[in-house]
Amino acid sequence: MVSGTFVEVAAPARNREAGTAGTAPASRESGWSRIRRLAPPYLYLVPAVVLLVVWTYQPLAQTFVLSTYSWNLVPSTPMVDVGLGNYERLLGTPELGRAVWRTVVVILGMLPFTVVIPVAVALLTRRVRGRAQGVYRALVFAPMLVAPVAGAAVWQWLLDPSAGAVNRVLGTDVNWLNTASTAQWSIIVITGWHVVGFAVLVVTAGLAGINPDYAAAAQVDGASRSQVTRWVTLPLLSPTLAFLALMTVLLSAQWTFPLIDTLTQGGPVSSTTNLYYLLWEYGFRSHDAGLAAAAGVLFFLGFIVVAALLTRLAARLSHHDD
Amino acid sequence: MSRIRLQGLTRRFGAVTAVDDMGLDIADGEFLVLLGPSGCGKSTLLRMIAGLLPPTEGRLWLGDTDITHLPPQRRDVAMVFQSYALYPHLSVASNIGFPLRTRKRPRAEIRAKVAEVAATLDLTGLLDRKPRELSGGQRQRVALGRALVRDPGAFLMDEPLSNLDAKLRAGTRAEIAELHRRLRTTTVYVTHDQVEAMTMATRIALLNEGRLEQLGTPSEVYDAPASVFAATFLGSPAMNVVDATVRSVDGVLRAEAEGLLLSLGIEADIPDRPVRLGVRPEHLTLTPAGKQGIRAVVTAVENLGSEEVAQCRAGHTAVSVRGPRPLGVTSGEAVTLAARPDRLHLFDQNSGRRLAWQAASVPEPV
Ligand SMILES: Nc1ncnc2c1ncn2[C@@H]1O[C@H](COP(=O)(O)OP(=O)(O)OP(=O)(O)O)[C@@H](O)[C@H]1O
Ligand SMILES: [Mg+2]
Repeated sequence: MVSGTFVEVAAPARNREAGTAGTAPASRESGWSRIRRLAPPYLYLVPAVVLLVVWTYQPLAQTFVLSTYSWNLVPSTPMVDVGLGNYERLLGTPELGRAVWRTVVVILGMLPFTVVIPVAVALLTRRVRGRAQGVYRALVFAPMLVAPVAGAAVWQWLLDPSAGAVNRVLGTDVNWLNTASTAQWSIIVITGWHVVGFAVLVVTAGLAGINPDYAAAAQVDGASRSQVTRWVTLPLLSPTLAFLALMTVLLSAQWTFPLIDTLTQGGPVSSTTNLYYLLWEYGFRSHDAGLAAAAGVLFFLGFIVVAALLTRLAARLSHHDD
Repeated sequence: MSRIRLQGLTRRFGAVTAVDDMGLDIADGEFLVLLGPSGCGKSTLLRMIAGLLPPTEGRLWLGDTDITHLPPQRRDVAMVFQSYALYPHLSVASNIGFPLRTRKRPRAEIRAKVAEVAATLDLTGLLDRKPRELSGGQRQRVALGRALVRDPGAFLMDEPLSNLDAKLRAGTRAEIAELHRRLRTTTVYVTHDQVEAMTMATRIALLNEGRLEQLGTPSEVYDAPASVFAATFLGSPAMNVVDATVRSVDGVLRAEAEGLLLSLGIEADIPDRPVRLGVRPEHLTLTPAGKQGIRAVVTAVENLGSEEVAQCRAGHTAVSVRGPRPLGVTSGEAVTLAARPDRLHLFDQNSGRRLAWQAASVPEPV
């Protein structure tokens, strides 16, 4: 009889077999070659960073500094340090509150042009096929290509109280741009006409980014066309809509600026003076650089808060489509 | 009643004919597998049945109703997409309940039905999650749940298992087959995986370049392939196909080629006929050199675990042999391969269609 014993089969050795140098110490690298290895990414960034610093961060810092001085923009007059005096003066004026309210009106008035109309147009042009689709989109986008000042000149002519086409079509004789109750709305509509094409483009891109399988699945699941739009397409589009809303809130007042400056100069009786125009008036009409800088700083901080809230909201709305 | 009938269904995309004159009659309760290589038109056909793609020509019936021009929401079918297409902004429960929501069912009923489906699919603990928080296998089950929740007339599934790993795939395959046994709902299932087709189908519709190549039960398609394409598409390794000539010698038919001589076991006297001769790798046996068969040289032996495949060279064609391990041959060895006459398949050399032997009409005893 032969006797024996069971021997456990050894597990494969770990490092040795794979032949890697995992345990061997890495060879030392000289300081110079280390710099040469790590430097390129930073070198590529340098031009952009320099431009940002020169054109954005430095003026920003200078604005902060300027907001604590009293100065009339004339190089030969000295700048007087007034501390927080400009801020006190600014918060004490009744104009500020009214300008904030008018800015809110502009933003609310712009939302139909940047969100509602673009969604409707993009959903409708999606159903048009072939070359006609391109033509429609080009037509909607065209106003964006017209320079604001040129557009303003044409609109001034269209809104002319005696011979303007708008009054003739509507059968009215309103002095649109020189009446306090209509001037603001005229500015909003003209600005909306200007940016609506861009917003349509953004919404169209957002729609194109939604996997068509979702709509197909919803249809097979029994959803009608309007249910697909309400329950699937619009929720999936919400990150795009949040982006457009954010743009509207932050930029509406800026978009209106060239139109206000050419058409109404903030009037009549300040009815079109929003935050940006007010700031500009302080700086370049009243030549009160310190007050304008203080206003700039306050708006800057205010919009940062609003933007932070909106971006957080947008992040919560976005669904990772995978 | 959810019999599905297709008549001359055709779909063209510009110059490409994705589905060409398709006729199918799918019986109520059947599990029909649409099988074919990539790009043969399986998805296109399924999307036409679902109503997501209008056919260029042809008609389509579900039960007794002509649904050719009915929009998808009014066809009584449920579809599982290859990408699953779970609504990313909705929870698992809302995803499963979606088809009921579109039908305006009361909330309580939806909740009860969703809970019931979730229980059968083992999803109960996941109802509040979003699709992105699920694994691939769980997503697949949610997609299945969304189809199950409303008792559709038919299920359409487009490669529902192709995103799963091998083990999960085998498990889910069995689950779907079990589900079908229980519900008996007509199912059209698209795959390019022959194992899925063989194990799940009541019938296989084999597609090639938009045309129906063969329609039959899995064993019919495997045992009597209707064409060279069908013969080589099913089976792994693929069926060996060589050019040969059928010749009658001493009143018995045999296939001949250089280094090849196999008896067909048919007593007849016909003029020589060139054919393509097919034989499956598992039907070839190794016999001692010098006997009648295919003379070949082993070029490589592959180990499949339970079996071995010997890759051989016979003249200019490659021939593979499959058998229990070990086969007992080594690379470089000269062998002779034999096969039983009833294991040989003959195909026409031009059309590639199967040739069946039909004895000359002998008056049948009544
Ligand atoms: N929208 C389309 N436009 C143009 N050609 C298309 C379109 N959809 C499909 N095709 C073409 O139709 C043919 C069949 O496509 P289909 O998607 O049905 O293939 P399939 O069998 O599902 O393939 P796979 O197994 O890869 O999914 C292919 O040649 C494909 O290029
Ligand atoms: Mg496909």
